[in-house]
Amino acid sequence: MPEPTLLVTDLAFGLLLGCVFAVIAHGLNLIWGVAKVVNVAHGEFIMLGAYGAYFLNLWFGFNPLLSAPVDAAIGLGVGVLFYFGFLHRELRGKESIGLQSEMVTLVSTFGLALLIGNLALLLFSPNFVGIPWSPGFVRVGFLQLPLGALYVGVASVAIIALSHVFLSRTYLGNAIRAYSQDIPATQLMGINPTSVAAIGTALGFSITMAGGALLSVWLPTGIHPTMAALYAPISFVIVVLGGPGKMWGSLVGGISLAVIIDVGQAFVGLSLATAIAFLTLIPILLFRPEGILR
Amino acid sequence: MKLPKLPVYGPSLWGLGGSLLLLGGVAPWIPVFPLIILVNLLIFAALAYSLNLITGLTGYVNFGHVVFMAVGAYSLGYSVETLRWHPLGGVALGALTALVVSLGIGAVTLRFRGVYFAIASLVTPLAGLNIVLVLPALDDGQGIVLNPAFEPLSWFYTIWIIIAAEVGLTYWITHGRLGYGIRAIKSDEDAAKSLGVNAPHLKLFLFALSGLFAGAAGGVYAWTTSGVFPYAAFDLTFSLLMLAMIVIGGMGTLLGPMIGAVIVNLLSRFFLAIFIGTQFIIIGLVVIVIALFIPEGIVGTLRKYVPELRRILE
Repeated sequence: MPEPTLLVTDLAFGLLLGCVFAVIAHGLNLIWGVAKVVNVAHGEFIMLGAYGAYFLNLWFGFNPLLSAPVDAAIGLGVGVLFYFGFLHRELRGKESIGLQSEMVTLVSTFGLALLIGNLALLLFSPNFVGIPWSPGFVRVGFLQLPLGALYVGVASVAIIALSHVFLSRTYLGNAIRAYSQDIPATQLMGINPTSVAAIGTALGFSITMAGGALLSVWLPTGIHPTMAALYAPISFVIVVLGGPGKMWGSLVGGISLAVIIDVGQAFVGLSLATAIAFLTLIPILLFRPEGILR
Repeated sequence: MKLPKLPVYGPSLWGLGGSLLLLGGVAPWIPVFPLIILVNLLIFAALAYSLNLITGLTGYVNFGHVVFMAVGAYSLGYSVETLRWHPLGGVALGALTALVVSLGIGAVTLRFRGVYFAIASLVTPLAGLNIVLVLPALDDGQGIVLNPAFEPLSWFYTIWIIIAAEVGLTYWITHGRLGYGIRAIKSDEDAAKSLGVNAPHLKLFLFALSGLFAGAAGGVYAWTTSGVFPYAAFDLTFSLLMLAMIVIGGMGTLLGPMIGAVIVNLLSRFFLAIFIGTQFIIIGLVVIVIALFIPEGIVGTLRKYVPELRRILE
């Protein structure tokens, strides 16, 4: 049995890491919720967001918190391109997405993942890089928490809260939610389904890439083209844990996953804790396919 | 339009079988270097045929097929290094272990459909990797170094038998009674169930078969390389290459996986020679274009739009 102080430290770090996990999964959650398709290349866009933060730091000295809005703006453009390149042909004029379209989007975005991942290996160096940014520590009782992670955690929760306000309080947000619930009814209300779906996808990409920038704070020497292979599955598991299409689901799922990994490693070691965290997906899908949240 | 009746043994089965027989006959006279390239091609073709059994025939996109390959590779490594078996026994053990593992995984994940199955299958290699990293029997994830004898002919005939079995089984499944049920599952699983197709059993049967063959092919792969290492064995790139092969060739067809394996191998070798890494970029581009514009793949599209070829491609 590990010491209680160690467990509390792990729990605190798990909570902080969970907020960042939540925001990288939130982008996927939005795309999944709005367009009803899964972007297999999601991890590659997280990686691009992290590299965006790295290059902004290298060229202009931006810290990751400043890079996140820049990444988000780039993500909007990337998302619109992605929608018209990959999703428009499958979603146009359909009332619901069929198995055939689902397979097409899965396979084509997997091709995109292969393309982006290897382009990144070719263009960026295959060395691990990182951002030298550390604003110091803060003491809470016996805990010593890095301020960078604290700022990033707050920013992550703020991003999720803002997206929630946007989706529930503005006209455009309501239109996006209406589209995700019933496409023919949305058209009867005079909403253009294509532009709403494109905006929803773009929003998802901008949050994903901003999340990549925020994640870079946790990776002082860990930004690498292959990081996609870890963070894509993490995002998928988080979205399923929280429930696809539920905005607070990302936060609940992200924090649960990170806490399972961080607290679990104190008991069974990091490898087994990671395996357990991934395998929680199976019972959740079997017994509560709608996610932890109601 | 009246469709011509399907011949009992189609030209593509004769063609594939004939070329396999020819290859098997001339193998002892092929020089070593081309033979090694051929063995590598056949290993990937065997993996593509095994993935075709589940993803091609039922439409369940399986990103985690590499798990069975890794299980086969580790079984061979364990039985050769620790139990001192002949590698052929290791290949057989790999096939059996992968069969058991695929029955276990399939019993759970095949309950999900569409994207949920795809996600569950994407997570299994990561979970498997993290479990292998702590298994004491496999040296705590240090990997197993093998010093196998260099015997390209034995590799060739082992993988040759595996492919022949896969081609025969694929033909038997798609052209028999089972094929009707499987095509019904691919089109509409609920409708198929209501017509009395035992969908869970059929899917599990196909999934177990695909695991069995992937395990055997993974065993041969480990036999031809000098060891089994966790991060290389569970590398998702293998899954992606197999998927690329059947997408390019044509999902659920008899010829598709072989054509896809040849194309992906040629592209890999050609662009690898130009610059390392560019081969995956090109394969990714080809997969995107095929998936978006001709989702049936080369064989499926030809069969759909050129009715004269239907007889040949069956």
